[in-house]
Amino acid sequence: MAYLIQPDYVQYFCTCGQIKPITNLYFCRHCLKVRCGFCICHEVDSHYCANCLENMPSSEARLKKNRCSSCFDCPSCFHTLSTRATYAPARQDPAAGDAKVENKQPKKMYYLSCFNCRWTSRDVGIPDQPVASGGWPERTNPFANRFGQLLEYFKAIAQQEKQDKLDKERKKYAIRGKYITLTDKTGLTGAMARTTAGLPSSESSSSAIANFVPSQAKEEVEELPEDYHTKEVNLKLITTMPQRLASPEWQAQLVSRLQPIARPLSVKRSQRCRRCDHNLTKPEYNPGSIKFKIELLAYYHVPEVKIISFETIKPGCTTELLLKLTNPTAHEMQISIIQPDEVPEVEEKEEPKSIEKSLEKSLNLEKDTSWRQVIERKPLLPTTIKLHKPELSFTLAQRDDAAEYDDDSHHETNDIILWRKSNKLALRLKVTTDEEAKVGSPAVAILALQYSYRNTVPPTANSPQTRDHVLYTTVAIHLGTVTQ
Amino acid sequence: MSHNVKILPGATVCEDCTLEGDITIGSGTVIHPRVTIIAEGGPIVIAEYCIIEEYSTIIHKKSDNQENPPKPLFIGAHNVFEVGCKVESIFGHIGEYNVFECRCFVGPDVKISSGCVVGASCKLSAPQTLVDNTVIWGSDHNIREALEKQPSQLLQLDFLSKVMPNYHRLRKPNGHKRQPSRQSTEAGK
Ligand SMILES: [Zn+2]
Ligand SMILES: [Zn+2]
Ligand SMILES: [Zn+2]
Ligand SMILES: [Zn+2]
Repeated sequence: MAYLIQPDYVQYFCTCGQIKPITNLYFCRHCLKVRCGFCICHEVDSHYCANCLENMPSSEARLKKNRCSSCFDCPSCFHTLSTRATYAPARQDPAAGDAKVENKQPKKMYYLSCFNCRWTSRDVGIPDQPVASGGWPERTNPFANRFGQLLEYFKAIAQQEKQDKLDKERKKYAIRGKYITLTDKTGLTGAMARTTAGLPSSESSSSAIANFVPSQAKEEVEELPEDYHTKEVNLKLITTMPQRLASPEWQAQLVSRLQPIARPLSVKRSQRCRRCDHNLTKPEYNPGSIKFKIELLAYYHVPEVKIISFETIKPGCTTELLLKLTNPTAHEMQISIIQPDEVPEVEEKEEPKSIEKSLEKSLNLEKDTSWRQVIERKPLLPTTIKLHKPELSFTLAQRDDAAEYDDDSHHETNDIILWRKSNKLALRLKVTTDEEAKVGSPAVAILALQYSYRNTVPPTANSPQTRDHVLYTTVAIHLGTVTQ
Repeated sequence: MSHNVKILPGATVCEDCTLEGDITIGSGTVIHPRVTIIAEGGPIVIAEYCIIEEYSTIIHKKSDNQENPPKPLFIGAHNVFEVGCKVESIFGHIGEYNVFECRCFVGPDVKISSGCVVGASCKLSAPQTLVDNTVIWGSDHNIREALEKQPSQLLQLDFLSKVMPNYHRLRKPNGHKRQPSRQSTEAGK
C-alpha cells in the first residue's frame, strides 16, 4: 500500500535489502528478481524542457548548458515565469508628424511574470519585448573568459592523461614482446590514430597546458564598508541564499539585480537491470507522453498486500490482522504465507568460466565493469512481532478487468480467508508480540509470501527457460506503535 | 439584520450569501455565492470593482475597546478576495488593488495598505502593517516588495457581471439608501 502523502504502511524488501513501497520497485522478468532505484542502472534517454516540451539531442543540450532557450524560471521563487501581454500606449512622437496616424494602433508588448510571487521582469527594469518568445536580454557571465580557459586546460589534461596511459600500455606490451600492438600491425602512427579517433593533436593540448595561468590567492582584499555592521538591513531589498545560489554566475546581492533564470532541462530516464542488462523501464520518446514502452514494475508482477485493519499491538498479546491480497498478473497464482526465515537463501551461481569470456575481458581493459555488480543483501529483520503461519496455501485468480462487474461472492470462505472477489482475497492472520517489546516503539510485522509466477518472456535459443517459477517476497507491515 | 445591506446599482451580488449587519456594496463589485460578510463591530463599506469569490469571509470583528459610534471598515476599490480567504479586520481601512489569494487568512491585527498580495494559504495573525505593494507567498511566508500595484481585474469583472445573472439568483440593488451611510464612511476615513 503506498500513498502520495501518507506514510507507507506496507513495504517490500528489495533484493538489495532496501525497504520500499511496492510502487517504487521494479521487477526484472529475466532475473525474476525485485529491483529498486538503488540497485539498478539509470540512463538518460532524452533531454527536454518540462515547460515547453521541446525535445533536443544531448549534444545540443550540452551546447545550451542544459537549459531551455525560451523558458525562464522566476529568480525570486523559482516557479516558471509566464509571458504576459500588454498594450503599450502608442508613443506620441512629435517628430513623426503624419506617420503618427498609422501608429495609433496600440502595440502589443510582452513581459515575464510569475504567478506565484508576482515577480515581473519590469521589477528589475528589463524592458518589455515586442515578441512573445525569445529576445530577452542575456547577461554575460563576468567570468566567461576564465571559464573558457579552465575548460580548455582540463580538457587538455584529460587528453594528456589518456595519451600517457596509452603509451604506458604500449610499452608494457613491447617489453613482453609477445604481443603485436595495433599500431605495429597496421603501421598506424599514434598521431594518425588520434586523428582517426577525432581527438585533438597533442601539440595543441600541450600548448594549452603551458599557457595556462593558475589563479593566485591575494593577500589584500577589498575592505568592508565602514557602516557594514551598523547599517540597518532591509530584508526586502537583499536576496536570500537560495536566490543567490540559483544563479551562481552573478549571485545578485540586491533584489533589483535578479535576472530570469533560463529553465534547466529535464531528462527522461530509462532503467536497466545491472545483472542482465535488460531494460526495466523505457519511456516513450515524445516528451508530452507519460507512457512507457517497457514498464516492468513490481506492481504488475508481485502480489500486492494491503492492510484492511488490525488490532492494537500489545506486548505479550496475540492480536488479529486483516490483510487483502491482490494478484496483478494475468495468470493464476499459488500463494502461501511463510515465515521470513523460511525464504530460501539465493545462492549466487558463478558465471561458468570460459576462455572466450576471459579473452573478451582482456580486450576491454579500459572498461570498468564494477558498476555491473549487484549488491544482494539480506536485511536484519525485527523479530518482536511473530506471525502465526496459517497452514494454508491458496490460489488467487488472475486479473480480469471484466470480473469487476460480476457480483459473485459465492466462493468458499473459512476462518482464514474471509472473502474472495475476482483476483483479490481477504485474510485473517494472527500475530504475537514479544513480552519484551518496548511500549512506544514502532510495531512492524514481517511476513513472507511464496508465490507461483509464470514467465511470459519468450524463450530464446540459448537460454531455455522454464515457464513456471516459485518466487518469494518479504513484506514489512507497519502496525502503528506498541501500546500498553 | 440583513435589511441594512445596501447594494448600489451596477453591483452583482448573489442571493446565496450571508450578509449580516450594516453593509454597503459599491457599484461594479461582484460577490459570488456562498460568501460571508459579517459586520458585527461596525458597518462594512466595500468600494467599487472588488471581486469576492466563493467561500470567502470578511468579518469586521467587535474589538475590546469598541468605539461609539462604531468605526466602519472601508474596503477600497479593485480588491480581489479569492476562494476561501478569510479577512478579519478591526482597522478601519483596507486599501485598494490588494489580492487575498485562496484560503489565506488575515487576522484582526493586520493593517493592509494598497497593492498587497497575501499568497495562497498564507496565515497572517501577528500584529503587523503591510506597506504598499507587499507580496507574501509560499509556506515560508516569503516577503518581497513589488514595483507597482497589481493590475486591475476589469476584464474579469466585466465578464462576471455579464455571466453571473445567467446562472445565479441575484440580489436587487437598493442604492437609494446609500447616502447616509456614505457620509459616515467619509467621516470614518
Ligand atoms: Zn534494490
Ligand atoms: Zn522550454
Ligand atoms: Zn516567483
Ligand atoms: Zn535482470
